[in-house]
Amino acid sequence: MFSKFVIYHAYLLKSSPRFKRIKRGVYNALENPRSQVKSYVDMLMIGLIVISIFFLLYDVEHETGVMGGYFEQGVITCFACEYLLRVWVSSDTHLLLIEEYEKASYLNIEFSLFRALKKAWIKKFEYILSPMAIIDLLAILPSYRPLRILRIFLIFRLFKLFRYSNSARLYSDILASKRFELLTLLLFSCLLVFIASVSVFIFEFPEINSHIKNLFDAFYWSIVTMATVGYGDITPQTHGGKIVAILLILTSIGVLSFFTSILISAFNEKIPLLRENQVYAETENYKNFIIICGFGRVGQEIAKRLHRDKQKFIIIDKNEQHVEIARQRNFLVIHNDASKNQILLSAGINRGATTVLCTTGDDVTNVYVTLTSRHLNKNIRIISRANQQENVAKLYQAGADQVIKPFEVAGLLTAEFLGQPVAFEAISGILQNHAEVVMDTLRVNQGSELDDKQIIRLELAKYKLTLLGVISANPIHLQHRNKYLVNQQHFYFNPDRHFVLHHGDILLVLGRKFSIDHFRDLIERRRLMHRKNL
Amino acid sequence: MKRIAVFGYNRLSMESISRLNPELYQVVVVGQNRLQNTQAKQDGLETADIDFHSDEDLRSLGIGDGKIQTILCFFEQDSENVFLTLSARGLDKALTIIAAVDNPESAEKLLAAGANKIIDPYKICGRKIHDMLKRPDITDIFDHTVFGRHDLHLAEIVIPAHSFILDSQVNHLDVTARYNLILIGVVNKQISDEIHFAAVEHNRRLSAGDILVILGPSREIKAFKEYVEHET
Repeated sequence: MFSKFVIYHAYLLKSSPRFKRIKRGVYNALENPRSQVKSYVDMLMIGLIVISIFFLLYDVEHETGVMGGYFEQGVITCFACEYLLRVWVSSDTHLLLIEEYEKASYLNIEFSLFRALKKAWIKKFEYILSPMAIIDLLAILPSYRPLRILRIFLIFRLFKLFRYSNSARLYSDILASKRFELLTLLLFSCLLVFIASVSVFIFEFPEINSHIKNLFDAFYWSIVTMATVGYGDITPQTHGGKIVAILLILTSIGVLSFFTSILISAFNEKIPLLRENQVYAETENYKNFIIICGFGRVGQEIAKRLHRDKQKFIIIDKNEQHVEIARQRNFLVIHNDASKNQILLSAGINRGATTVLCTTGDDVTNVYVTLTSRHLNKNIRIISRANQQENVAKLYQAGADQVIKPFEVAGLLTAEFLGQPVAFEAISGILQNHAEVVMDTLRVNQGSELDDKQIIRLELAKYKLTLLGVISANPIHLQHRNKYLVNQQHFYFNPDRHFVLHHGDILLVLGRKFSIDHFRDLIERRRLMHRKNL
Repeated sequence: MKRIAVFGYNRLSMESISRLNPELYQVVVVGQNRLQNTQAKQDGLETADIDFHSDEDLRSLGIGDGKIQTILCFFEQDSENVFLTLSARGLDKALTIIAAVDNPESAEKLLAAGANKIIDPYKICGRKIHDMLKRPDITDIFDHTVFGRHDLHLAEIVIPAHSFILDSQVNHLDVTARYNLILIGVVNKQISDEIHFAAVEHNRRLSAGDILVILGPSREIKAFKEYVEHET
């Protein structure tokens, strides 16, 4: 009967969206590393820990005031709540009960609430016994009056800081990754200390002037000597003792350097991972950024220009040298293979990225990265580089929106330059924004002054602007001459004076930058004023 | 007809040659090795089997005596292109030398060696992709029209010493309405490489040697050219 009551409530919880929402919220605040709330909670907890440690130190020297006592209780309440909530979100007891219940009813055996609860509790205990949970508990317990003796454990609150800091966690990860080497070394060191303590004890203890009065002194001396600290409060007096000292010192130099090298190599192994995580963390706040796959010559040129435009981008390349160049230029770079789904996902292909550029020198890689990107995100813009003509179709098939062929573009420019060098230099100066005059577009917005107006009435010459043409998809203009079809819309070159503009049209003008900007501002201002009057 | 020598037969050379109007240019290919020469021959191009290291061979090709007006140094190695540029510039001061560059550091060396124009395919490609990202409208228009197959071209017209439009103001030409052309600007090579934009300096007076940079359909360009070269 009781078990039915429990199971009923378990189902109730499972079907309650409110319960789910609350639990999810608590999980986000405490455990979810990607959640923004967690970072605030972490900061709050770090503040509490630091202040409580400050009060503890003050308490050692002075009598605590009333405020200190209240504060301490407040802190303990916070820690206790945090601890209990963490235990709560560590596993889903009600789901476990339901699972057990359903298993039992499927197999047609009797459901034992006791066994199911035991399983659920084991799960909870697994969490409670984890190192971090123990530290949490030790940070709370000493405040309980009868356990005042455990005050020293308050220092465990400092260990609690580990929970909130990624770098501290990384340090423990590094130590954990070298567990085998460190254990071997520890075993060897213990053996060394044991041999050294016993031998020095045997040699020194019988001496009348000996500093070593018991085995603990010998142990203490060995540790101090082995760590190359050598306080000198205990020194061997006999020849035998001195020889032990010499041997211990020589061996401990080896032990220490071995220990250092283990740590350094572990750090070296982990640093790329650390860097990568840092890059991902940085892009998490980005919006509208570009992923550049391949940082060869082409990628470098694009990055240089994007950097100048203050456009955010992230580079993925598996070539060590390229990555090094990117790092030197302070660009965000991931040293990895861009064709892996996980890498593109972490780089943010589904979170803020607008465009993927596949610019490696290898067409096979470009096709593969294009395909992967398109598979991961149906709507993202992909521009790909094709080094061989025959791969252009493959790239389009793989999902590229635009394909660019470096040698074709270069060949085209060579031919243009050969034909009319002066004109070519002039136009490329304009197109690259090197000249004093730039080319820019002006959009005709609805309700703008340009809408329904003849070109002659724009008085572009007054603003020292040259109209090159109008880009429009509006069929109303089709009667005009000089139209060129470009991507489902028409470019009307040099439209005649009576060409009537419609909203949605884009004017392509040539002029000084400030004169184009001035004209654009003027139109926009008039449009807004016009609205106000309405 | 202009005669052009293309050194090195690779993707860049092939793309460049395919874009040249065969009615205006006569191309001779000097391959880096026999294989390249054979391939060029198979593609129906004229080849010359010479050693570019030797000035004598270059002279025999026509560099130095004005037979060849332009060379394209498109070898794979930058050092070879620098060497060729130096040799050719030594033989002919008026030669137009266009050189490809692989390592960006070599660009300055090539210019110092006497090249007129540097082609850096990777840089061009990077710039292009950047344009596609930043100014897709303008890039599209230019790719499809001026640099594409549509009949809209960039042209330069030199004003001869006897032309009757000498001393008239730029805006009086009124090419926009009369010829369906757009005058981008005027350059006078004898004075400087600077371009005087028509939009900015619309009352500039034209003088002999001025080069008019215009944009428009080929028929209109031709008609305008005849008009400009019309004698007084």
